[in-house]
Amino acid sequence: MSDRAASTEPGFQFADAAQAREVSTLGMWAFLATEVLFFGALIAAYFNYRIWYGDELIAAAGHTKIVLGTINTAVLLTSSACMAMAVWSQESKARRAACLWLAATAALGLLFVAIKSYEYLLEYREHLVPALDFDGARYGGATELFFTWYFCATGLHALHLLIGIGFVLFAAIAIARDRLPDGLSIRILGLYWHFVDIVWIFLFPLIYLAGRNG
Amino acid sequence: MVLKVWLALFALLALTTTMAFVQLGSANLAIALAIAVAKAVLVLWFFMELKGSAGLTRAFAAAGFFWLLILIALTWADYSQRRDVRVPVTISSPRSP
Repeated sequence: MSDRAASTEPGFQFADAAQAREVSTLGMWAFLATEVLFFGALIAAYFNYRIWYGDELIAAAGHTKIVLGTINTAVLLTSSACMAMAVWSQESKARRAACLWLAATAALGLLFVAIKSYEYLLEYREHLVPALDFDGARYGGATELFFTWYFCATGLHALHLLIGIGFVLFAAIAIARDRLPDGLSIRILGLYWHFVDIVWIFLFPLIYLAGRNG
Repeated sequence: MVLKVWLALFALLALTTTMAFVQLGSANLAIALAIAVAKAVLVLWFFMELKGSAGLTRAFAAAGFFWLLILIALTWADYSQRRDVRVPVTISSPRSP
């Protein structure tokens, strides 16, 4: 138990635990601000394509799989709720519950990636993958542009999610073995996870909800 | 609290997906984005704990979105008003048979 007590002590560079907590929170938010602009540039590009290609781009978005996309949104929103529960459990010193909620979060994250991979497979079969197998004669240039953007945006999002899953699994195992490293805060990990969720909240309507009527 | 936010997020997801199938012209995009903002605010405020955060943390959180707003607003203001620049649609590379 002396180990546990020691791990709650802040590092020598901090005045107290509250300051250590605030510094780590601000550090994560500063990183997330750069991530906002990283994904934001992709979203700004999407708006430009909407201006340039209008109805053609909206029609291109109609080729995406809305049922799978909606299920995936639900999966990711639920994973965020699990993550919030994990943070709450960890802060109330409920180790076992925190470990289980983290495992649920990672499992839902993996389910999201699995569904997304299946979508990629369906799109490959429909010759909708630019550079690899795209039927330009059938779909046209605006659709190729949309799907290039689509694979960049969803691929980068999936990469962020995979990194998050890795950290969440690592944290779950570390908590189970009672060996959570000092530098790894579940609350900070939660901020990252929820941010990846927010990126998807914006990608979802732009990708799946365009081109569903008319 | 978490359960209520989760239910609200699911309700908004059901609403936005349903609205996408209703033909409203350009209002479709506006409604979809408004609902996305509502969902993001729920996640930011409750899950990311901005609700109980200090002013400085909130300022850090808002900074990224503020700059993003500038990026999108100025880009949109430029390109939506241009009539001289048109990007050619024929960008598809010809596939060999």
